[in-house]
Amino acid sequence: MKLLTANRLNDGRVIYLGEADAAVEAIDAARILDADAAEAALTLAQSRPAVFVNPYLIEVEDRAPSGRDRLKERIRSVGPTVGHSLDFAARNETP
Amino acid sequence: MYRYDEFDAALVRERIAEFSDQVDRRSSGALTEDEFKPLRLMNGVYLQLHAYMLRVAVPYGVISSRQMRRLAHVARTYDKGYGHFTTRTNIQFNWPALQDLPAILSDLAEVEMHAIQTSGNCIRNVTTDVFAGVAADEIEDPRPWCEIVRQWSTIHPEFSFLPRKFKIAIVGAPKDRAAVRTHDVGLQIVRGEDGQTAFRVFVGGGQGRLPHIAQEIAPAVPGQSLLAYLTAILRAYNLLGRRDNIHKARIKILVAAIGIDAFRDEVERQFAILRQEDLRIPDEELARIQAYFTPPPFADLPATSPAYDAARRLNPEFARFTRSNLREHKQAGYGAVIVSLKPIGGVPGDITAAQMDVVADLAARFSFHEVRASYEQNLVLPHVRLEDVHAVWSRLREAGLATANADLATDIIACPGLDYCSLANARSIPVAQALSHQLADAALLEKLGPVRINISGCINACGHHHVGHIGVLGVDRKGEEYYQITVGGSPDEQAALGEIVGRSLPAEEVAPAIARALDRYLEIRNDGELFIDTVRRLGADPFRTAIYELTDAAA
Repeated sequence: MKLLTANRLNDGRVIYLGEADAAVEAIDAARILDADAAEAALTLAQSRPAVFVNPYLIEVEDRAPSGRDRLKERIRSVGPTVGHSLDFAARNETP
Repeated sequence: MYRYDEFDAALVRERIAEFSDQVDRRSSGALTEDEFKPLRLMNGVYLQLHAYMLRVAVPYGVISSRQMRRLAHVARTYDKGYGHFTTRTNIQFNWPALQDLPAILSDLAEVEMHAIQTSGNCIRNVTTDVFAGVAADEIEDPRPWCEIVRQWSTIHPEFSFLPRKFKIAIVGAPKDRAAVRTHDVGLQIVRGEDGQTAFRVFVGGGQGRLPHIAQEIAPAVPGQSLLAYLTAILRAYNLLGRRDNIHKARIKILVAAIGIDAFRDEVERQFAILRQEDLRIPDEELARIQAYFTPPPFADLPATSPAYDAARRLNPEFARFTRSNLREHKQAGYGAVIVSLKPIGGVPGDITAAQMDVVADLAARFSFHEVRASYEQNLVLPHVRLEDVHAVWSRLREAGLATANADLATDIIACPGLDYCSLANARSIPVAQALSHQLADAALLEKLGPVRINISGCINACGHHHVGHIGVLGVDRKGEEYYQITVGGSPDEQAALGEIVGRSLPAEEVAPAIARALDRYLEIRNDGELFIDTVRRLGADPFRTAIYELTDAAA
């Protein structure tokens, strides 16, 4: 199965195509696509360049990136695995 | 340091206005990503894995305390509270929003900073010796020449669309502290036969997929002719360099393909037909620029400081810091303090906004408002009175900036790797952190002495792994991170590329393997012999054996 992902135009953040064709940040909210739906999703995202920058499809198993680029896609989905961005996230987490 | 004249200020202002309009048009959809990409790259804006990234130029690594405070402001206001110093002595912000970019650039312009030519196929930020104007072995301060090259190369109409990016480094001493032989063009100040300033010129160095050490093309180009000679080199490259294959487009490939002698002939042919009078640096202009780099008003101090000596005697931790992170200054009674951006287990080159403010305050109070960025991804307070070093150290220590490891094994150079970079095959930072923890013992570090370890997350070699005494290259093996180790590289006047010791290792085996190689060095070194000299004497074999000892035994 596949997901559609891209970077968001206004801030470059990683986004996925979710339900009702919404752009969502959480991979868990991404819509799982079969082969036909994947092609349609790619066409849709390409037609919305004000949101989706460089859209492409990734392979997943149970929403976890699989395939050759699985590590890169896992890091894209959660952010850097180390460093100050994690401290920033912790500081800004709403309790 | 250099201050913008009206031309610099106008140029930066006009560029921000132009780029603001481009950002607006991109936001409105009037520009596609394909149309916008070359425009944003001309302004240092990349689109990385998680966000846009802005690379801000730090010309030849010189920063004022006011500029450092402004960088802290940018980190705090528009980013996630930190920045990352690179091996090109620039600083990168990893999380700016597209619409904020014009405001960030305007804020930076107020303190004479910009992001022009920090990416793209143009002449990039010129780098130099972080101890320029400080080191006693210097023939001449290279910074005025860096500034001249900066002015000449900024938005140079002929050289804004080169076959590929182009990097220049300049040193003013025989000791190469700027890795000039790893550059497209490396310049070393020498004395010409007439006793005047001249440049030994190296060409065709570079790392990446096909690494080359630069070769000497000219032994002593007179200073007045420097821009004409550089123009001749760039013109030859621009005409003959390949544009059909991005992997073969750097000048190193051209020089290797036709040979240094043929390339020299072409450069001399171009040099002979240049309008030399237009490119000759007028004496008064050279003097005007040199005046910006006159030494600060040093106090007339004795060579030693009783207070400093006493602090060293009383505090072993401080004494250790001074042994590793304090460098001699040509001015009596002063030293240069290396601010470590390599805390144990930290991210090499990263610095928080609060830390930037601390460095800015220390520079203002103790170092004539001056900070330097080194290509080793550290900062330097270049002019600190010996009697003030203890106060500086105390404040740095509170801020987590006083790790006593400059040039030692945990002073690891590393690119951002797959945690941030869309080109990377593997992560660099976690490997650096594991190695840093493995080698954290301060006594061990001192015993090992200077060891340069470099880590790159892909073959583009932003972590300079080819010229690390020990290099680590991340590779992708069927979706898994593996790391290839090299031994014997060197970035300095004895520049050499490291030798790949064998098959790549999984991430968790890298730090223990390197620790074994360093243990082996301690066993086999001669008295007082540095790590790199032991490698030069014995070759890579003893280290290869140590690196694969356990994995071979298990096989």
